[in-house]
Amino acid sequence: MASVDYIPRKTVLQSLRDRYFSTLANTALTLLSAFIIGAIIWKVLNWAILGAVFSTQGGAEACRAASGACWSVITARWRLILFGLYPHEEHWRSGLACVVVVVMTVLSCLPRFWSGRAIAIIWVGGFLAFYFLMKGGILGLTVVEEAKWGGLSLTVFIFLATVLIGMPLSIVWALLRRSELPWISGTTAVIIDSIRSLPLLSILFTFAVVLPFVLPSWASGDKLYRVIVGMALFFSAYQAEIIRGGMQGVPKGQEEAAKSLGIAYWHRVSRILLPQAFKNALPATINQIVITFKETSLVIIIGFFEILASGNAAYGTGEWTFAFVEVYAFIALVYFVFVFSLSRYGAYLERRMAVSER
Amino acid sequence: MLTVLTKLTAIAGLGVAALATPAMANVGPTLEQVKARGSLECSGHNGSFLGFAEVDDKGAWKGLDIDLCRAVAVAIFGDASKLNVVPISWAQRWPALQSGDIDLVIKASGGTFSRDTELGLQFSRAYFLGTTKAMVRKDSGITSLKEADGGSICIPAGTTIERQVASYADRIGITLEPILFEKTEELREAYFSSRCDLYAQWGPTLAIDRSVSDDPSAHILLPDVMAMEPEVAILRQGDDQWVDLVNWVFSALWFAEQEGITQANVDEMKANPPTSEIGKLLGVTPDQGAPLGLEDDWAYNVIKAVGNYAEVYERNIGSGSIYDMPRDINNLWNNGGVLYPMVFD
Repeated sequence: MASVDYIPRKTVLQSLRDRYFSTLANTALTLLSAFIIGAIIWKVLNWAILGAVFSTQGGAEACRAASGACWSVITARWRLILFGLYPHEEHWRSGLACVVVVVMTVLSCLPRFWSGRAIAIIWVGGFLAFYFLMKGGILGLTVVEEAKWGGLSLTVFIFLATVLIGMPLSIVWALLRRSELPWISGTTAVIIDSIRSLPLLSILFTFAVVLPFVLPSWASGDKLYRVIVGMALFFSAYQAEIIRGGMQGVPKGQEEAAKSLGIAYWHRVSRILLPQAFKNALPATINQIVITFKETSLVIIIGFFEILASGNAAYGTGEWTFAFVEVYAFIALVYFVFVFSLSRYGAYLERRMAVSER
Repeated sequence: MLTVLTKLTAIAGLGVAALATPAMANVGPTLEQVKARGSLECSGHNGSFLGFAEVDDKGAWKGLDIDLCRAVAVAIFGDASKLNVVPISWAQRWPALQSGDIDLVIKASGGTFSRDTELGLQFSRAYFLGTTKAMVRKDSGITSLKEADGGSICIPAGTTIERQVASYADRIGITLEPILFEKTEELREAYFSSRCDLYAQWGPTLAIDRSVSDDPSAHILLPDVMAMEPEVAILRQGDDQWVDLVNWVFSALWFAEQEGITQANVDEMKANPPTSEIGKLLGVTPDQGAPLGLEDDWAYNVIKAVGNYAEVYERNIGSGSIYDMPRDINNLWNNGGVLYPMVFD
């Protein structure tokens, strides 16, 4: 028999034994952990599914009697949570608007649409579709004022508008900050640092509540847009620094080479500097976008009916006061779906860009 | 000669002003603005405040405060759909009112000295008296706060209740261990899961929390009244006509209750008013609305839309609701309470 010149593959059982049951102490630890994990899973399963009530048939009373979660509060009030104060018979518009966003995101994940122009068209077009679906006033849709928007679609709207306004703004900040004229770069640095040193909450409060006292009435606009401008400013200050970091990662020789070839400033920036800078800055950018999505919930403090507020309203009625945990769990799930897919998309982008580097 | 002329002009001017008064002075700037806008902007909540401002399954507002807003909107427009409830947080109440985002605040808010003077606001008459009370588990055997000496008490953080409890405890010479909670549901859970012996809260909220708990009969409200706050509608300073209007809308609700006018019988009452006061209230006698800048049948519309005060109360927080809160002090004067209408003469 020939000598074995490969390391023999362990069977599953062998590797299990080696890894988890090699000594008595290890065995004990493994069993203990398995028991704890199992108990937690069993408890959650019991609460969330096995002992839970899903239908509204028995009303709140059937829920109180149940051992598990009371999902009937969601069955009864999900439209309030998702759409807030939006007129009940127009909810389909609000729902459709959210679908538009999902389609938009999926489209921009497809490599076929990966050119600056296509992405811009998809996002701006999708945003406009979203806006007109929500607001109405065209194609025979009744007008729904911004004050009536609420729930998930308001959260999504604030988030999208913030990023769409904030992203170009942050590029401008980053470029200004790199300016060779010291008074421009200095002023920009002061502006960025001032915005970053203010808490978001105070910025929101100022834009929502204080600004109408200061601005003439024609300039103050709807509260929603003032708040979005505030959030976009805040976002852009952070994002500008992220992009600047990305720019610093681009070797200086690139720009010098471009200059020596006589490539004009805008071409240099848009074709050479920014694409590489964005690639460098991608992980931090995704991070910032995810944070921004979660920060939209702060607008509850200035009286917006975003998903957290409408969740509060959902359990805030005599019948359902006891079921707030279920409502929060539901909202957490919605957030999770959004944020998790955002992060996965970011990770996918990173992998793809890494491929182009090889 | 010149002085005589000046005087004459002044007198003439006064005369013109006097002639113009009945038509002009009735509509204050706020009412004018509301009419021009075509909607009444009233305070709502960023979430819900049990019994006073809630959202139903279809996303429509309801509650005692909301119904009072609705009454004012109906008095002005004769149409409840002209009410626009603006969701605002507690902190936002005064800036929103002063910047003109909303026309009035009816948000379980008390009339206080500093709100009147420093903030420059104006109040209607009180539509509800809110007391600060404490709740305790029945099996503890405690029947008054004095017996709870040394106990722990759950209190909403950052509210006046914190101060009221401390000063009341000082006054009756006991010490309580305060445990503070920021969120209402957290506070509620803490008490009902026995983290504290007592639970101090604004009376109506306390009663509501008890009534929606798993076993309401296991808890009692102690008779001690630690503080009282008259809840009022709050308005911008300097528009007397607007204050009058809101006060008379409230009065109409109380007067209707006093005279037994309900949503159901208001048509009958209007067709055949039993007394001349009722006739005046319901606009059978002409020119009852003009002094307030309203239509003659404003009160009829209000009662038709929301009912009298008793109906508003029972529907939202009283026997017609899940909360089933007795009216006690918030009854009309002739039922042992403190509320009363002005006279419609």
